[in-house]
Amino acid sequence: MGRWKSALALTAVVLSYAAVVAADDASMSKDLGATIALQGMPCDKVIASKRNGDSDYNATCKDGNRYHVFVDANGRVVVKKL
Amino acid sequence: MPPTRRNPGNAPTGAAGTAVDAKGTTQPPANNTPPVAQRPSAAPAPALDLNSLKERLKDTRAIGLFTKLSLKNQVDDLLSQLRAFHAKKSTSSLADLRQRYDLLLLKVLSLLQDGDPPLATAISQSRDSIWGILSDPQQFAKL
Repeated sequence: MGRWKSALALTAVVLSYAAVVAADDASMSKDLGATIALQGMPCDKVIASKRNGDSDYNATCKDGNRYHVFVDANGRVVVKKL
Repeated sequence: MPPTRRNPGNAPTGAAGTAVDAKGTTQPPANNTPPVAQRPSAAPAPALDLNSLKERLKDTRAIGLFTKLSLKNQVDDLLSQLRAFHAKKSTSSLADLRQRYDLLLLKVLSLLQDGDPPLATAISQSRDSIWGILSDPQQFAKL
Protein backbone atom coordinates (compact mmCIF):
# COMPACT_ATOMS: atom_id res chain seq x y z
CA MET A 1 0.00 0.00 0.00
CA GLY A 2 2.87 2.33 0.91
CA ARG A 3 4.49 1.70 -2.49
CA TRP A 4 1.26 2.61 -4.28
CA LYS A 5 1.04 5.82 -2.33
CA SER A 6 4.64 6.67 -3.18
CA ALA A 7 4.08 5.87 -6.85
CA LEU A 8 0.96 8.05 -6.93
CA ALA A 9 2.76 10.92 -5.20
CA LEU A 10 5.68 10.64 -7.64
CA THR A 11 3.29 10.63 -10.62
CA ALA A 12 1.54 13.71 -9.26
CA VAL A 13 4.87 15.52 -8.85
CA VAL A 14 5.99 14.58 -12.39
CA LEU A 15 2.64 15.64 -13.87
CA SER A 16 2.61 18.96 -12.03
CA TYR A 17 6.22 19.62 -13.11
CA ALA A 18 5.24 18.83 -16.71
CA ALA A 19 2.29 21.21 -16.37
CA VAL A 20 4.57 23.98 -15.07
CA VAL A 21 7.04 23.43 -17.93
CA ALA A 22 4.19 23.45 -20.48
CA ALA A 23 2.79 26.66 -18.98
CA ASP A 24 6.26 28.25 -19.09
CA ASP A 25 6.64 27.22 -22.75
CA ALA A 26 3.21 28.62 -23.56
CA SER A 27 3.91 31.92 -21.84
CA MET A 28 7.34 32.17 -23.52
CA SER A 29 5.74 31.52 -26.93
CA LYS A 30 3.11 34.15 -26.19
CA ASP A 31 5.82 36.60 -25.09
CA LEU A 32 7.87 35.99 -28.24
CA GLY A 33 4.76 36.26 -30.44
CA ALA A 34 3.81 39.61 -28.87
CA THR A 35 7.39 40.87 -29.23
CA ILE A 36 7.52 39.93 -32.91
CA ALA A 37 4.15 41.61 -33.50
CA LEU A 38 5.30 44.76 -31.64
CA GLN A 39 8.18 45.05 -34.12
CA GLY A 40 5.65 44.93 -36.94
CA MET A 41 6.70 41.51 -38.22
CA PRO A 42 4.16 38.89 -39.31
CA CYS A 43 3.61 35.93 -37.00
CA ASP A 44 0.18 34.49 -36.30
CA LYS A 45 1.35 32.22 -33.48
CA VAL A 46 4.68 30.97 -32.17
CA ILE A 47 4.59 27.17 -32.30
CA ALA A 48 8.20 26.47 -31.31
CA SER A 49 11.06 28.30 -29.70
CA LYS A 50 14.66 27.44 -29.01
CA ARG A 51 16.72 29.16 -26.36
CA ASN A 52 20.16 30.17 -27.62
CA GLY A 53 21.25 31.91 -24.45
CA ASP A 54 20.19 34.61 -22.00
CA SER A 55 17.44 36.69 -23.62
CA ASP A 56 18.19 35.06 -26.95
CA TYR A 57 15.67 32.84 -28.76
CA ASN A 58 14.81 31.48 -32.17
CA ALA A 59 11.07 31.42 -32.75
CA THR A 60 9.11 29.51 -35.36
CA CYS A 61 5.67 30.79 -36.28
CA LYS A 62 2.70 28.76 -37.46
CA ASP A 63 2.82 30.56 -40.83
CA GLY A 64 6.40 29.30 -41.38
CA ASN A 65 8.23 32.53 -40.53
CA ARG A 66 11.27 32.13 -38.31
CA TYR A 67 12.85 34.87 -36.21
CA HIS A 68 15.87 35.50 -34.06
CA VAL A 69 14.70 37.47 -31.01
CA PHE A 70 17.34 38.84 -28.68
CA VAL A 71 18.34 41.76 -26.51
CA ASP A 72 21.35 43.68 -27.84
CA ALA A 73 24.12 45.35 -25.85
CA ASN A 74 22.11 48.59 -25.64
CA GLY A 75 19.17 46.82 -24.01
CA ARG A 76 17.04 46.94 -27.14
CA VAL A 77 14.91 44.01 -28.22
CA VAL A 78 15.89 43.03 -31.76
CA VAL A 79 13.82 40.79 -34.02
CA LYS A 80 15.60 39.48 -37.12
CA LYS A 81 13.96 37.36 -39.78
CA LEU A 82 15.82 34.09 -40.37
CA MET B 1 -37.97 66.27 25.12
CA PRO B 2 -34.91 68.57 24.82
CA PRO B 3 -32.74 68.26 21.76
CA THR B 4 -29.72 66.03 22.27
CA ARG B 5 -26.39 67.83 22.57
CA ARG B 6 -24.45 64.96 21.09
CA ASN B 7 -25.68 62.92 18.21
CA PRO B 8 -24.27 59.38 18.43
CA GLY B 9 -24.49 58.78 14.72
CA ASN B 10 -22.91 62.16 13.86
CA ALA B 11 -26.00 62.80 11.84
CA PRO B 12 -26.09 66.48 10.92
CA THR B 13 -29.83 66.69 10.66
CA GLY B 14 -32.70 65.95 12.99
CA ALA B 15 -36.04 64.50 12.04
CA ALA B 16 -37.69 65.60 8.82
CA GLY B 17 -34.65 67.44 7.57
CA THR B 18 -34.34 69.85 10.51
CA ALA B 19 -30.77 70.90 11.31
CA VAL B 20 -29.29 70.67 14.80
CA ASP B 21 -26.71 73.39 15.42
CA ALA B 22 -23.73 73.33 17.78
CA LYS B 23 -25.81 74.62 20.68
CA GLY B 24 -28.29 71.84 20.22
CA THR B 25 -31.12 74.03 19.05
CA THR B 26 -33.19 72.84 16.17
CA GLN B 27 -33.23 75.02 13.07
CA PRO B 28 -35.74 74.73 10.27
CA PRO B 29 -34.16 73.85 6.94
CA ALA B 30 -33.49 76.80 4.63
CA ASN B 31 -34.71 74.71 1.74
CA ASN B 32 -35.13 71.06 0.90
CA THR B 33 -32.03 70.72 -1.25
CA PRO B 34 -28.82 69.52 0.38
CA PRO B 35 -25.74 71.75 0.30
CA VAL B 36 -23.86 71.67 -2.98
CA ALA B 37 -20.87 69.91 -1.45
CA GLN B 38 -23.03 66.97 -0.36
CA ARG B 39 -24.93 66.65 -3.61
CA PRO B 40 -24.13 63.39 -5.36
CA SER B 41 -22.42 63.98 -8.65
CA ALA B 42 -20.64 62.04 -11.38
CA ALA B 43 -17.40 60.40 -10.19
CA PRO B 44 -14.48 62.76 -10.79
CA ALA B 45 -11.64 61.62 -13.02
CA PRO B 46 -9.05 59.83 -10.89
CA ALA B 47 -5.90 61.81 -10.18
CA LEU B 48 -3.06 60.69 -12.42
CA ASP B 49 -0.37 58.75 -10.60
CA LEU B 50 2.22 58.14 -13.28
CA ASN B 51 4.63 56.32 -10.95
CA SER B 52 1.93 53.95 -9.77
CA LEU B 53 0.94 53.14 -13.36
CA LYS B 54 4.60 52.57 -14.22
CA GLU B 55 5.03 50.18 -11.31
CA ARG B 56 1.83 48.32 -12.15
CA LEU B 57 2.99 47.97 -15.74
CA LYS B 58 6.36 46.64 -14.55
CA ASP B 59 4.73 44.18 -12.17
CA THR B 60 1.87 42.91 -14.31
CA ARG B 61 2.01 39.27 -15.32
CA ALA B 62 -0.16 39.90 -18.35
CA ILE B 63 2.90 40.88 -20.40
CA GLY B 64 6.07 38.83 -20.76
CA LEU B 65 9.58 40.17 -20.16
CA PHE B 66 10.57 40.45 -23.83
CA THR B 67 7.34 42.29 -24.58
CA LYS B 68 7.83 44.64 -21.63
CA LEU B 69 11.36 45.45 -22.73
CA SER B 70 10.18 45.96 -26.30
CA LEU B 71 7.45 48.34 -25.09
CA LYS B 72 9.98 50.18 -22.93
CA ASN B 73 12.21 50.65 -26.02
CA GLN B 74 9.27 52.16 -27.88
CA VAL B 75 8.30 54.41 -24.95
CA ASP B 76 11.92 55.60 -24.72
CA ASP B 77 11.93 56.30 -28.48
CA LEU B 78 8.76 58.38 -28.18
CA LEU B 79 10.17 60.27 -25.19
CA SER B 80 13.31 61.06 -27.23
CA GLN B 81 11.15 62.37 -30.07
CA LEU B 82 9.14 64.51 -27.64
CA ARG B 83 12.36 65.81 -26.06
CA ALA B 84 13.60 66.81 -29.53
CA PHE B 85 10.23 68.43 -30.27
CA HIS B 86 10.30 70.52 -27.08
CA ALA B 87 13.90 71.50 -27.86
CA LYS B 88 12.70 72.59 -31.33
CA LYS B 89 15.10 70.11 -32.90
CA SER B 90 12.45 67.92 -34.48
CA THR B 91 10.76 67.91 -37.87
CA SER B 92 7.77 66.01 -36.43
CA SER B 93 4.67 67.98 -35.54
CA LEU B 94 2.83 67.60 -32.24
CA ALA B 95 -0.02 65.94 -34.17
CA ASP B 96 2.44 63.31 -35.50
CA LEU B 97 3.73 62.65 -32.02
CA ARG B 98 0.19 62.39 -30.66
CA GLN B 99 -0.54 59.80 -33.34
CA ARG B 100 2.54 57.79 -32.31
CA TYR B 101 1.52 58.10 -28.66
CA ASP B 102 -2.00 56.86 -29.44
CA LEU B 103 -0.63 53.93 -31.43
CA LEU B 104 1.74 52.95 -28.62
CA LEU B 105 -1.05 53.20 -26.06
CA LEU B 106 -3.24 51.01 -28.26
CA LYS B 107 -0.49 48.38 -28.33
CA VAL B 108 -0.23 48.48 -24.54
CA LEU B 109 -4.00 48.27 -24.10
CA SER B 110 -4.33 45.36 -26.53
CA LEU B 111 -1.64 43.49 -24.60
CA LEU B 112 -3.30 44.18 -21.24
CA GLN B 113 -7.00 43.96 -21.96
CA ASP B 114 -7.28 40.20 -21.46
CA GLY B 115 -4.61 39.58 -18.83
CA ASP B 116 -4.97 42.67 -16.63
CA PRO B 117 -8.23 44.50 -17.38
CA PRO B 118 -8.04 46.83 -14.31
CA LEU B 119 -4.64 48.13 -15.42
CA ALA B 120 -5.87 48.49 -19.01
CA THR B 121 -8.81 50.56 -17.72
CA ALA B 122 -6.57 52.71 -15.52
CA ILE B 123 -4.22 53.44 -18.42
CA SER B 124 -7.09 54.11 -20.79
CA GLN B 125 -8.63 56.58 -18.32
CA SER B 126 -5.27 58.34 -17.94
CA ARG B 127 -4.63 58.63 -21.69
CA ASP B 128 -5.39 62.37 -21.96
CA SER B 129 -3.76 63.26 -18.63
CA ILE B 130 -0.53 61.54 -19.68
CA TRP B 131 -0.57 63.31 -23.03
CA GLY B 132 -1.17 66.57 -21.17
CA ILE B 133 2.12 66.03 -19.34
CA LEU B 134 4.04 64.88 -22.41
CA SER B 135 2.91 67.76 -24.61
CA ASP B 136 3.58 70.46 -22.04
CA PRO B 137 7.27 71.49 -22.10
CA GLN B 138 7.33 72.51 -18.41
CA GLN B 139 5.68 69.31 -17.17
CA PHE B 140 7.71 67.18 -19.58
CA ALA B 141 10.95 68.67 -18.24
CA LYS B 142 10.00 67.48 -14.73
CA LEU B 143 9.65 63.83 -15.81
